[in-house]
Parts: sequence; structure tokens; C-alpha cells
Amino acid sequence: MPIVSASVSLTRYRIVEDVPNSIWPEIVTLLKRFSFKEIEQTSDERSYGWVSLENFLDAGFRTAPPEKGEYLAFALRLDTRRVSPAVIKKHTLLAMEEAEKQAKEEGRKYLSRERKKEIKEQVRIKLMARAMPIPAVFDVVWNTSTRVVYLASTNNKVRELFNNHFTDTFELHLEPMTPYFQALNALGEDAQPAIDAVESTSFM
Amino acid sequence: MDLYLGQMKDIILGQDFLTWLWYKSDVTGGLFEDKGETFELHMEQRVSVQGGEGDTLETATVSGATSELREARLGLRTGKKVNRAQIRIEKDAEAWSFTLKAEDFSIGSLRTPTVETKLEEGDDPDAPFLEKMFLLEKCLSHLDAVYAKFLDLRFGTGWGEEVQAFRTWLSKNE
Repeated sequence: MPIVSASVSLTRYRIVEDVPNSIWPEIVTLLKRFSFKEIEQTSDERSYGWVSLENFLDAGFRTAPPEKGEYLAFALRLDTRRVSPAVIKKHTLLAMEEAEKQAKEEGRKYLSRERKKEIKEQVRIKLMARAMPIPAVFDVVWNTSTRVVYLASTNNKVRELFNNHFTDTFELHLEPMTPYFQALNALGEDAQPAIDAVESTSFM
Repeated sequence: MDLYLGQMKDIILGQDFLTWLWYKSDVTGGLFEDKGETFELHMEQRVSVQGGEGDTLETATVSGATSELREARLGLRTGKKVNRAQIRIEKDAEAWSFTLKAEDFSIGSLRTPTVETKLEEGDDPDAPFLEKMFLLEKCLSHLDAVYAKFLDLRFGTGWGEEVQAFRTWLSKNE
């Protein structure tokens, strides 16, 4: 659980709309519906979804419920298969040589552009299937009384993935707690024209 | 990169805030208030200043445990703004530290007072988590209180005076 570790990096969000009370008994069902699916037996490049905060192998929330006091705590797991471009290049060259040899034997002079594309794709899929998916886990904590949601990552790609997956799962929208949104929130809607028109201060 | 209005204002507000915070935390001895509770907030050890835009964008990162970060102050005098700072919050005997990025307020390497994670029989298994969340939210609430103070000044009538006081501070630290 990175959230409880000595040092943690965070992005904060606020849920834009009022959260309907009907959602609370459905949380685990929704988390399971959008949970992480293993790709070990496939050649898929990536997979992502919710897992238990306590155990990232648990996508069924059997280890512990997500409810902890006034918080809901779970994690976003993202598995990615990576094959070095150099490895793909080498195996594509090998496959091309083999295909050219075969083409010659069959009396053809060269490989068609489509055939070359096909070989490249086949090599990529074959190598992907052989690569082990690399798991990454990002803790998520939702404070149900303040509507603030914490993500234990500041990576832009992870943030985007999380934001979309959260909305898909709970049908709730997240607003990042950046300087602009924090200003709107602190000063209220009446201040929006002034905030929108703010210019950089010259401190010199 | 195309920025939407909010992102352009994020950079302006975030940099104005961190630049002001350097001065403010220095002249007040780091004393701030959050809902009637006094705490200390300091900028320390490591600060980045940035100026220019596009191809002429320039960033200077200065660090030093007890230095006065002179190079970064020099940057302020050439119109640069603070775009990332290491912040330390203290309350009683407890301390928090983190880095704050001006452009989106993302929080890096946040360290809270130590939480006991070893559980004994009969302990609530969620106790370390709840304790950690309490400490994280306390720190963020303090940060938000300082930002709210900045916003009141920034969008109030006294901002010009505040900027004048900033200039005096900067010239005194030559």
C-alpha cells in the first residue's frame, strides 16, 4: 500500500456532482464490474482495472472490503507488456529473410507490401505473447464526506486512465484540484470572471 | 501543446502563489493559520524558478540544506517565478514535507510523521491506514489554508501593496 508508505506522491480530485446515496451499497459491485482482468494467457498489450488496496492479486475484493471509516480505498492496477524495439527489429529481419527465401523457392522475386506488413504484425504479436505483463499499482482513496479523491500517482498517462476509468465505473466526474479549480472552489462562482481574467503578477 | 483556459490560469496562479509563498513564509517566520490552529510552513532546501516561454523557457533549480538559495533569488530578480518548491510544515513536534508543483498542485514525495504499521492482537486492521489519512489530510488542509490566504490577497484590494512588500523583501536579500 504506497499510500501508507513513508513517501507518497499524490494527485487530488474533487467529485463534481452530488453523489447519489444509492451508490453506496453498490460500490463493491461496481468495482468488481470494472475490476482488473489478467492477461497472462493472452497477447494483449495492456489491461487495467480495480483491485483490492491490500492485495493487488485480489480483483474480487475478498481480502478486505474497500470501506475504511469514512473512506473508500482500492487500487488501480495497470499491466503492460513491453518488448524492446531492438528485439522486434531483429525478429522482423529474421522473419523477412525466411519469407524472402520461401518466396524465391516459389519463383517470386519479392514480397508484397501487404505481406511485409503482415509479417511485422505477426512478429509483434508473437513476441508480445512471450513477454510477461509488468504490473503497476496505484492506490486510490475516496473521502466520502468531502468528495475528495486521492490518486497515488502524478504521472499524466496514469492520471488520464484513472480519471476515465473512475467516471466509467461510478458515472461521476472528477475535477483535478489544480490552482485554477481550487481558486474557483475557494472564492465561489461570483469570482469566476476575475479568476478567468487573471494575469501573471510582475514581482520585479 | 495547446492549453485550455484553466491550464493557462493554473500556471499563472500556481507560480504567483509559490513565488509569494517564498516571501511570505520568510517575513512571517513561517507562521500561518488553519481554522484557528497555528502552524509553521517553510520553503526549504530545494526550489526551482522558471522564466520565459516557448524556446526561451529557462529553469534554474537550486538546492542546499542551509543555503539561502541565492541563485534562485537572483532568478526572481530577472522576472523568473517559482515553479516547484519543497515545503515543510511543522506543528508541535510533528513535521511533514513534500514538493509542490505550481502548474497543477501535484504533490511529490509527501512524508508525514511516522505511522505505526505493526499491529498487535485486537488492533483495528485499518488503524494504520486511518492514521495515515488523518495525517495526509491535515497537511493538505494546512496547505489549502495558505492558498486560500493567498487567494484573498490576490483577488482583494491589497495585492498591489503585497507586491510592493515583496519587492522590498527581495531587494533586502541582496
